[in-house]
Amino acid sequence: MIAVVIWATVSPLYDRAVAAGAEELMRLFENPKVTHLNANGTDVTVDRSDFDPRSPHPGLPVIDLTFNWVLLAALFSINPKPFSDRNMLRFGIASVIMYVTHIFALTAEVMSIYVLRLGAWSAAHYGAFARNFWGVANHSYRFVLMFAIAFALWWALRPAPVEEKAAPRQKKRRKR
Amino acid sequence: MKRDQKLFLIKFFVALIAMYLLVAWNPVNDHVIVPATKGIAVVAGAMLHAIGQNVIVNGTTIASSRFAVNINNGCNGIEAMLILLAAIGSFPASMKSRLIGLGIGALIVQLINEVRIISLYLIGAYRPSLFQIFHTAVWQVVVILAAIIFFLQWSARVAPNRLANGS
Repeated sequence: MIAVVIWATVSPLYDRAVAAGAEELMRLFENPKVTHLNANGTDVTVDRSDFDPRSPHPGLPVIDLTFNWVLLAALFSINPKPFSDRNMLRFGIASVIMYVTHIFALTAEVMSIYVLRLGAWSAAHYGAFARNFWGVANHSYRFVLMFAIAFALWWALRPAPVEEKAAPRQKKRRKR
Repeated sequence: MKRDQKLFLIKFFVALIAMYLLVAWNPVNDHVIVPATKGIAVVAGAMLHAIGQNVIVNGTTIASSRFAVNINNGCNGIEAMLILLAAIGSFPASMKSRLIGLGIGALIVQLINEVRIISLYLIGAYRPSLFQIFHTAVWQVVVILAAIIFFLQWSARVAPNRLANGS
């Protein structure tokens, strides 16, 4: 619950950082660079400079993409010494890596809007492969990958709790 | 990270993506996932009736004059079961241990998921301002965390001092 409170409090600021990262990533591959992602509270609105300014701007609740950080925090808190330097450092590293995955997740979300939800404009600019690719990327992230990423980061970075227990096994092997 | 732990993660992601594609495939979704979700809704509806809630179950929707919840993918526990299945399937253990783990794990996930649906209905009906945070952050995390903790317990039991104990 502490992690939920921290996440809910920090979300408006964090969403800006994710939106800025995703905007940079998208504009890397755009020519001309037209996508603008504006974070307002817990939503990010998608603007394109080549669209009529009077047209509706799709809004995305970014918290739906970032709440796996709560799972990551909960997993690191399982450690018998959750506030140890080692555990906190690794949790910090995992959080930074997760931030990068959030940028990719928001990019996939925006791309799925471009390829699927803008009617005739989507059909004119994107083919079947792009529709399937970005649709699956976005849905799979929301459905299972966001949880799998939190689990994998924790699994890979968690401090070893019982390294000393493995030692006798190694000694036995050496005797043989 | 040890080599066998890296191998576990690779197998885990490959299995998870394969199972996701299977579950997302329309025939599987329509003939397996949706009927299973309807069953989950029926059980939750019966339990809500038992505690005095006048609800009607229609397909995957549980509704009353106060509130309605529609159980979609992501709220039916399937995502937690896929993660559990990928983790147990990727972990070095006997087939018997895996089947027992999957059976017990799936049961635990679905029991917790029924509690999630019932509590979300009650929160939506009586404390609607809390619904969004409980729906998005609290219960999703609790269900996945339960699956992961069960996996850790199971893996420590079937392979003590090996993969399950960290890097």
